[in-house]
Amino acid sequence: MSVVEIRGLCKKYGSNVVLDHVDLDIEEGDVVAIIGPSGTGKSTLLRSINLLEKPEEGTIRINNKEINLTTRSAKEKLELRRYTEMVFQQFNLFKNRTALENVMEGLTVVKKIKKSEAKTIAEKQLEKVGMGDRLSHYPRHLSGGQQQRVAIARALAMEPKLLLMDEPTSALDPELVSEVLVTIKKAATEGNTILLVTHEMNFVKNVANRIIFLENGKIVADGTPKQIFDNPDNERLKEFLVKIHMLENTEYAI
Amino acid sequence: MSKIFDWQLVFTEIPLLLKYLPVTIQLTLIALIIGWVAGLLIAIVKIHRIPVLQQLCTLFVSVVRGTPIIVQLYLTYFGIPIFLKYYNFYNGTSYNVNGIPPIIFAIVALGLNQSAFDSETIRAAIQSVEKGQVEAAKSLGMNGLQIFFRVLLPQAVTVAIPSLGNSLIGLVKGTSLAFTCSVVEITAQGKILAGNSYRYFEVYCSLAIIYWVITIFIERLFTYIEKKMSVPEQIAEKKEA
Repeated sequence: MSVVEIRGLCKKYGSNVVLDHVDLDIEEGDVVAIIGPSGTGKSTLLRSINLLEKPEEGTIRINNKEINLTTRSAKEKLELRRYTEMVFQQFNLFKNRTALENVMEGLTVVKKIKKSEAKTIAEKQLEKVGMGDRLSHYPRHLSGGQQQRVAIARALAMEPKLLLMDEPTSALDPELVSEVLVTIKKAATEGNTILLVTHEMNFVKNVANRIIFLENGKIVADGTPKQIFDNPDNERLKEFLVKIHMLENTEYAI
Repeated sequence: MSKIFDWQLVFTEIPLLLKYLPVTIQLTLIALIIGWVAGLLIAIVKIHRIPVLQQLCTLFVSVVRGTPIIVQLYLTYFGIPIFLKYYNFYNGTSYNVNGIPPIIFAIVALGLNQSAFDSETIRAAIQSVEKGQVEAAKSLGMNGLQIFFRVLLPQAVTVAIPSLGNSLIGLVKGTSLAFTCSVVEITAQGKILAGNSYRYFEVYCSLAIIYWVITIFIERLFTYIEKKMSVPEQIAEKKEA
């Protein structure tokens, strides 16, 4: 049975339909990558799952609990957010807190774990992302890649059922991208369920076990990296892959 | 002929004036607290664009910022008794205007004045915290109050501290007008002393020294707080949290 089942997710901005009745099932331990042209609702899909956007329609079943995505109940919102964690493009660390405090924040404030215990968990998570020697650094003293690794530790410390990653490497200097990708790959191999929006196609090819091609608010193609990259059966997907130079078939090369 | 300017008097009068320093401090502190709390509430109303309240707050801030503080002191001093009379008349109560200590009028006027000025500072400071951090906090599962008190407020305070310090200094000096509400604080006491000795200039010199020292103290205090609260420039050496 799927960990996450999304049904009929719709999101509009005015008359502009961004997500059009999206259905999506994610199995436990899956690493699902969402690709697609810009403006097709990739980020909106992620943000809707975490209710950072307010969808017009849709339900989600997560951890055997069905929640209407249009819910106005604060309790249900908090519950859904407790099962999901988001890693942002801009890291969004708390600027007035050290790396350690950033990771401890959710544990002590939301999960009400004792400070000493939270500290142990936070240290362990930061150690895992290779930030064990930067515990008392403030975000402004860290590079973009380091900040993003702290953000990943902060999300993983909450033990989410589903980790949402919204272009986690897009705001980074090229030379800092790989350290974050390594961290994400590690999180993936440890069995975390991840839904990821990214433009790092090689990374997707290596790490994701399922790829979703989203266009105009609809899932146009859905399959393993092999199916998507090697045998694209959808014209629009082919075109997209050509544009990003992933399709080696010369037939489509310009 | 007596001395044209009595140097000694400037300093011998300081202790006599300082007897009323507690009144000045009381005025300042209570007005400050009213100012910050009401200022925060106005800021929250404006940030969340709460209908009706928002327009009322905008009007209030505009009126307070657009009128001199001495006029505001007169307005409360004469306005509250008139309001009470009306209230008594229509509700059949018999609250006694004379039972209200004059310092209340001054505190209300100074506090509201302070809140109007501080509300804009606080609003800007809260809005200066990046939206992304709020989203991150939401995503962690924090509720509105937790986000406000753990993410927004601490960072907003750091931003607002220098301006709030300035406005506090303005408030301290504003308390010197409280005599218009028949409150005797250090300036009023100075006028009384000078009325006896006709040494006005000397007393005002003493008062200037006192206000100046208080202001220097507040400046130092706020610089210290600002330094304490902001994220250190340098990377801390292995400080355990």
